[in-house]
Order: sequence, then C-alpha cells, then structure tokens
Amino acid sequence: MARQKILVVDDDPDLVRALRLRLRANNFEVATATDGYTAIAAAQKERPSLIILDLGLPVGDGFVVLDRLQSIDALSSIPIIVLSARDPQSNEERALKAGAAAFFQKPADNDELMNVIRVSLAPEQQQMAPWPS
Amino acid sequence: MDQPTTQVLLIEDNPGDADLVRLRLVEGKTPVNVNCVNRLSEGLAALSKESPSVVLLDLNLPDSHGAETFRRVLEHSPNVPVVVLSGQDDEALAAKAIHQGAQDYLIKGNISSKHLERAIRYAVERQALLRALEITQKQQLEFKNQFLSHVSHELRTPLTCIHQYVTLLLDGLAGPIAPDQGDHLKTVLKSVNQLHAMIRDLLEATRAESGKLRVEPRCIALGELLHQTAAMLRPTANEKQIGLEIALDQRLPLVLADPDRILEVLINLVDNAIKFTPPEGAVMLQASMVDADPSSVYVAVSDTGRGVTPEAKTLIFERLYQDGDSIDNNRSGLGLGLFICKEIVKLHQGRIWVSSEPGQGSTFTFTLPVYSLAKLLTPVVTYQNQLRPSFVLVCVELTPLTSPPRGNWKETWHQGLETLRHCVYLDKDLVLPPMGAAGASETFYVVASTDLQQSEVMTARIREQLERVVNLQSKCTVIISAVEIELPAANPGENLEQQVQTLAECVSGMILKNMDRKQFSAPKAPGSN
Repeated sequence: MARQKILVVDDDPDLVRALRLRLRANNFEVATATDGYTAIAAAQKERPSLIILDLGLPVGDGFVVLDRLQSIDALSSIPIIVLSARDPQSNEERALKAGAAAFFQKPADNDELMNVIRVSLAPEQQQMAPWPS
Repeated sequence: MDQPTTQVLLIEDNPGDADLVRLRLVEGKTPVNVNCVNRLSEGLAALSKESPSVVLLDLNLPDSHGAETFRRVLEHSPNVPVVVLSGQDDEALAAKAIHQGAQDYLIKGNISSKHLERAIRYAVERQALLRALEITQKQQLEFKNQFLSHVSHELRTPLTCIHQYVTLLLDGLAGPIAPDQGDHLKTVLKSVNQLHAMIRDLLEATRAESGKLRVEPRCIALGELLHQTAAMLRPTANEKQIGLEIALDQRLPLVLADPDRILEVLINLVDNAIKFTPPEGAVMLQASMVDADPSSVYVAVSDTGRGVTPEAKTLIFERLYQDGDSIDNNRSGLGLGLFICKEIVKLHQGRIWVSSEPGQGSTFTFTLPVYSLAKLLTPVVTYQNQLRPSFVLVCVELTPLTSPPRGNWKETWHQGLETLRHCVYLDKDLVLPPMGAAGASETFYVVASTDLQQSEVMTARIREQLERVVNLQSKCTVIISAVEIELPAANPGENLEQQVQTLAECVSGMILKNMDRKQFSAPKAPGSN
C-alpha cells in the first residue's frame, strides 16, 4: 500500500520539522505549510489523506482554513486534526463544529495523537449507522 | 448646573407621610417627578418597568416589614439608590438598612426640603460611584484573567517544541542514544511535564476565578477514584519509600460528583501529602460517612509529615500561598493546587479543610454530596404538595461509531447532554446526572412528568434537536426510547416524601434493569399513529 500523506500546518517551523520526523518514522509521507493561505494551496496540490492544523496562523487563521477546506468539495472529506496551544474550553467545540475530527491541546501526548491519526485514516469499519427514526 | 428631572419612586403606605414627603420634594430647587405607591409589591412592579433615580422607602408596609423590605428592594434592583424613611422609634432598623447597603435614612416628620434634596443628591452620586468602582474592578479582573490566559497560551508554544524534540530523541527517532543520555533526557522530560502541569494550573486557577470552571456531576462510586489515584501516585510514593494506603467505609453511598475533577483534587492532595512526608512515612486515603451529616461523604487524605501551622490553616487554600520549605527539591509549584482544589470542591457544594498538629502530620478533608435521586426529583415531580399523576422514563443512548471514538468523545456526549437539557421543561422534567464513570457509550435518562402518549412530543423534539447538533451523526448512533413508570399503589396515609421516595426507587430499579439489559423495547416511531 502506498504511504499515506499528512499535511502539517503550523507557523512554528521548528515544530513542523519535529512533527515531520515523527510522522515519517511512523511511515507517513509529509507535506508542510506555515500559514493559512499556503495551507489551502498545499491541500489542493498535495491531496493529503489527513491534515494536522494549528489554529493561530498568519494569513488566515485555523478557523478560516477549516471553513475553506469544508467549502471545497474535493477537500471537504479530508479528516482534520487540530493541534493548538489555545484553550480547548473555548476552541474545541468551535473547531469540531467547523468540521475538525479531533482537537489536541499542545503539548499533545504523542501516542494519543498517533492513535487518533490512525483511527481517522482507517477505512470506515462499518457503514455509517442510519439515524434511527 | 442644568439638572435633568429626578425620578423618585416613593414607597410609603401612610397617606399623610406620603403627602408630606411629596410636598417637600416639590418645594425643592431640583425638578422632580414623584411616583408614589403604597405597597412593596407595587413598588417592585414599578421598579421592573423603569429604573427611577432614587427610591424613598418606608420599611413598614402592608405587605412587608422591617429589614426584609429593604432586602427585597435590594435583591430586585441592586443598582438603584435607596433612602430609607424611618419613624422616630425605629431608627435602629434604618441604621441596619444602611449597613446592608441603603444610601441614607431620614426620620419622618423631621424632613426639610433642603435636607431631602441633599440626601437624594448624595444617594444618587454615591450609588454612581459604587457602580463605577464595581465596573472597574470587574474590568481589572477580566484584564488579569485575559493576560494570564494569554501567557499560558504563549508558554505552551515553546514548551511544545521542547517536548517534541525531547521525545523525538528519547524514542530514538533521531538516531540511537546512549543509556545515560537517555536518563538525562528523561530528566528533561520530567521538568517539561512539571512546567506543563504549572501552565495547566495557571489556566485552571484563572478559570476558577472568573467562574468558568466547568463541572459535570455524575452519579459515581468514590472507591474507584481513590484506587485510581493511589495507582497513579504509587510510583512516586515508592520512590520515597512512603506507604500509600486506602481505607473505605464498607457501606459508602454513591456520590454526585465530576469524576475528572475529583480525581484532580485527589491527585493534588495525595501528591502534596507525599511531597511533605519524609521517607518511610505513610499517606492514607479515606472515604467515610459521618453520623451527624448523612447527606455527605467525607474524603480525607492524611500524612505523617510535619503538619501545618495554625496560622497556615486558613491561608493554605488561598491563591498563591506558598509553604516556606517543601522537603522536595525546592520545587513547590505555583501555590495554586489547593486553591484549585477548594474551588472544585465548592462547585460540588462541598467543604474542604485541614486539621493538623505541627509535627504530627496533617489531614485534608473534603465533603461530597451523597447522590439522592429523591432529592433531585422532589422539585419536578411534585405540584401543589402532591405527586404529579404520571411519569415516563426517557432513555437516550449514544454509542460511538468507532473504537476509539472519532474526535473527543467527552465533548461529543457532553454536547448531546446539553442539547437534551434544552429539550425538557425545567419545572416538571429532570435530566438525571449521568450514571457511573464515563464509558465507551453514554446513556442519559429523563424523568418526565407526562404520560406515554404525550412523551412522544418530547422524544420527537429530542430527536430533532440532537440531529441538529452538527457532527453528532458522524460520531455516534442515537437511540431514544420511552417507557411508562408504573408506580405501586400508594399506601393510604403515605406522605409526599414517601411517595417521592417510592418513585425514586422505581426509577432506580428501571435504570439498573436497563443497564443490565442495555436495551429498552423498541420505541414507537413518532408520527406512526
């Protein structure tokens, strides 16, 4: 199976480098972006299987990126994991409502993060259960 | 100075006194507009409509007497200045009102228009000053909290970087490392984790201060939490050769508490106890009942450390309190731990205190409310001192689609629960606190004062509202069902309290049965009849 690609978006290049190393060691291909604008461009060009997204970004913060990605048909199904230093109490619900699959506050536990990445990438184990009526 | 008209609300039942005051008001230089009522209820109604510049208040009215009269006005309109009108014989009462926040008092029959005018003017000015002071204080607190929350955010960014690179090295992802290098890195990681905990405490304390600390009480068994705490801190205790014991009252009832928050409190207390106990000492975790207070469970953490001085006993729970010298390597933290504990316990309607003799160790005790379904049910299932006629138990089950669940499961079910709370009538339905520790799936129950047929309206509303919660469908299945609560025939002479108790037992029985079976009979689809 081809290696799956993850797009890492964070304005701290040092953190991006560290995450790239860790993700590569876990057998993922990695693309990166350090601001909101290039994040959307990179998502369109690279078609990643998953996006790790910071919230505090220059040129369009994480919520703007979330909105844009959701509005582009070809990209709206890519799972997005928000990894932010911001307070989950005021940002987690908002991020999830905007379409994020998960929210992690920095610094995140590596094992938990990897676990959620795997779950989000796993093919649907079951057909979406119908809403009971 | 060109003054606007002063709006005076005069609450006075004696027509003679009222006329006199009105006369004195009109005589003055300031233009006034007087609205005179003679009962407190009318006064409060007038206050609801519009806010006057000042209230002139007689304390003894047909529908309210004495200090109570002022208290009710203050409660209704805390920002309107009040000048109390008092008789010669009840000046003491008026003085008491001043103590409670009235701006001034005037002795009736002794009022000159000049005097009255000045009293009103000062009352208005003072009230405005008080208000400005209050607003400034609020703004300052807000500013401080915003600053702290900003700081804790900014600190996280470099901390994350350190954390990532240290774990990268430790995990061998940047090449092999020698064993002693690994040990050094583990020391770095330990410090990173300490720093992380401090940042968390800082934010938590800020939240507590601004009233944003969230508590989600569940019906839980405390024993599990005590064991969990001990398991987490046993390695630390072992390192210092400190014994860590648990003593549980055999017949401990369930409590109403947020397990995550109480775990936080327990970890904080036990961690402190270990920190302040010399090697080969002992730390004891206890949960028990006290005869004199059957509605609380008492949780105590005691140690054989050097104890707390009498002066420190009251200060120890304050923000930023620091004990002079902790035995442990000079790292005593920010001094926020016990403050956070106190705030969390307070949010559970509990108390926390320390008892200690210097040199004899200390015991930190806090109380948690015993879970009583009857007590929770009483306000909603009774009406005019009688049990309502019929009840339905609605069950809403959320099961995640994947394991582990997509996203943050706690946030998901919490959203579901919040939505559910908006679907019921607060005065006659009760969303029960979730039962047991948060698990892989969540089942919420509602006791609704209605019959089965009418409950369909409610279940349809719940279904509709839950569907509106964005993303819920992509994360979990929702099963909603409803069953009638069949009460045994009431014994003649049974009082209301006993009837509610019977209902509570009935509901508990049904929930237990459902937890065993984990499935209600299939619900009738709404609109199918």
